[in-house]
Amino acid sequence: MSLPKSSRAQVDDRSFSLALPRGGVLLLLALGVASVGATLLSVTVGSFPVSATDALLTLVRGAPSEMAETVVMQFRLPRALVAVVAGGLLAGSGAILQNVARNPLADPSLVGVSQGASVAVVTLIVMFPGMPYELRPAAAILGALAAALIIQLSSNRDSGSATLRFILTGVAVAAFLSAVTGAMLTYGDVDRAVSAMTWLAGSLATVSWDDVWLLSLFVLTVMPALCWASRPLRALRMGREIAISLGASFQRDRLLLVLLAVLLAAVAVSTVGPVGFVGLIAPHLARMLARTGPGLHLFLSMAIGGLLLACADLLGRGLFEPIQIPAGLVTALLGAPFFAYLLISRRGT
Amino acid sequence: MQTMADAREHPGHWSTGIAGLICLCVLAVAFLWHISVGAKEIPFAVIVEALFTYNRDQFDHIVVHEIRLPRALMAVFVGAGLAVAGALMQGVTRNPLADPGLLGLMAGATFAVVVASLFSVPDFSMIPLIAAAGALIAAVFVWLVASAVRGGATPMSMVLAGAAMSAFLGALTTALLLIDQQSFEQLRVWMTGTLTVRPRGIALWSYGWLCVGLLIALAIARQVTTLAMGDETATGLGVNIRRLRIAVLSAVVLLTAASVSLVGPMGFVGLVTPHFVRLIVGFDYRWVIPGSALAGAVFLLLTDIVARTVLAPVEISTGLVTAFIGAPVLVWLVKTRL
Repeated sequence: MSLPKSSRAQVDDRSFSLALPRGGVLLLLALGVASVGATLLSVTVGSFPVSATDALLTLVRGAPSEMAETVVMQFRLPRALVAVVAGGLLAGSGAILQNVARNPLADPSLVGVSQGASVAVVTLIVMFPGMPYELRPAAAILGALAAALIIQLSSNRDSGSATLRFILTGVAVAAFLSAVTGAMLTYGDVDRAVSAMTWLAGSLATVSWDDVWLLSLFVLTVMPALCWASRPLRALRMGREIAISLGASFQRDRLLLVLLAVLLAAVAVSTVGPVGFVGLIAPHLARMLARTGPGLHLFLSMAIGGLLLACADLLGRGLFEPIQIPAGLVTALLGAPFFAYLLISRRGT
Repeated sequence: MQTMADAREHPGHWSTGIAGLICLCVLAVAFLWHISVGAKEIPFAVIVEALFTYNRDQFDHIVVHEIRLPRALMAVFVGAGLAVAGALMQGVTRNPLADPGLLGLMAGATFAVVVASLFSVPDFSMIPLIAAAGALIAAVFVWLVASAVRGGATPMSMVLAGAAMSAFLGALTTALLLIDQQSFEQLRVWMTGTLTVRPRGIALWSYGWLCVGLLIALAIARQVTTLAMGDETATGLGVNIRRLRIAVLSAVVLLTAASVSLVGPMGFVGLVTPHFVRLIVGFDYRWVIPGSALAGAVFLLLTDIVARTVLAPVEISTGLVTAFIGAPVLVWLVKTRL
């Protein structure tokens, strides 16, 4: 919003994936640098002090001490990396949902998708503790898809003010699914319930290199889909009638994009828990910082989301040492007022 | 004087009297059923005996008197209080989705109670009042945000502002509990909405405030009906809207705060019950409010029975059961009433 609209708007309308607006690309680069910085910072912060030089040495050559090696390589580095990647996935999901639903308030955790994934993962943790860890993302995807289906079926698209209605239905579905999760926690064994609860708060305390590999593999797999997404997003953003008249096959594109959004959110949730509001905030920040087409906007949102979750985790770890506040709580504390702000500043009805 | 006039205005007062009697019978049946359900099988005759001729030497009597009766009473009072709070809010804001939980009041009260226990407030009489302060602040904030939304405080903007408020305060509450492990242990179960025994002082004061709130609600019921028809109608009929709004707000805040102090955040009771009651008695709040009190009590008794039996011997939180029932009702309301 801060940039003059007139000059950018023309670039926006004509730009295909090759002719990217310069401001957006520069911003993307800056965000990349900032993410690396946040990762380095998060490697040094914690109850065991590691100086910045020691941390760099550990990463590049080898650790000055065995303790530093363990702390940095086993705990802090995977945690920081997971935060960046998972935050990016959540933000990507939010950006796609906001464009497809043409709803500035959409976010995987607000419309119930994250809660659907949570139900499935908590069921897995509590009822089938013997199942391998790799099944979690699969379960999360199934749960998220089911939740998306419920919302689609129960929201009434015929009448007006669909924007808020969609979110409201999501709020209700999320409340229901949270109750299911809660019942699951009382049903199960206490130890398993506690581990499920830490996960539910959106804590990154338990992540390991397995999660890093899983997420990286996933990102590589969906990258072509993300690049593909920019075209249909551009058409769908205009609304159903215009999209169809532009020659988009509206139903198919819409379905594929929602599937992609659900997939991104579900995989992120399966590793870091149902962290809320990242998918809401990041796309708006991206739009405020640079005017771009939907393709670059998607990647900008993802970069901002990664940075956001990394910072949230950093704050949660640093503020009340030695107590760790889960990153999900930090994002909720930031995100809820932001949601209220969006609600107030919404244009039209 | 006024009651006589009311009786004359309402042609069907005989039939409503009978309906009231039936409702009381239903409440009595639900109450006895609630007491008879539990881990230990107790014959019905023994329960009646324990209620009317209590014998301290018999174990079954002690179970009924010390464990089951307090829990049933709690369900009755909290159910009635929350349902009446919901009915008042729905009437005054003309919002079919108004509910102390959905509009953030419960999150405010919960947060306040957690803060109070964090600073270990020793005086139990203060707990409901602190909760009331939290609920009031949350309510005012939600109202301000919802009014600032373009289009004004519509049902949707109110619920969404309430959702944001609940998310914010919920995160803050959890963070506080994580910082203070001891409070976390104490309040973990209470946080999910359960009808378990609370310290005696808190319980007594909460019951007192619940009664005050219910009495205020009954006293203003007549005027709420006029307000539900619109501000102009109410003013035309000589109602002081400003004073009435303050009375409603104080009743709602007291009822919510006392309920939360007793059983924790118990969502959806205030949403579901008044809709059900209005289906039967119509839109006259002189009947909606006592009706909601009765129906809310029965509703919470029944949900608590479900919570204790469905996964027996494990008990699930009653708040979860109310959410199971309430959330689909919310979806339905969003679909049909907005």
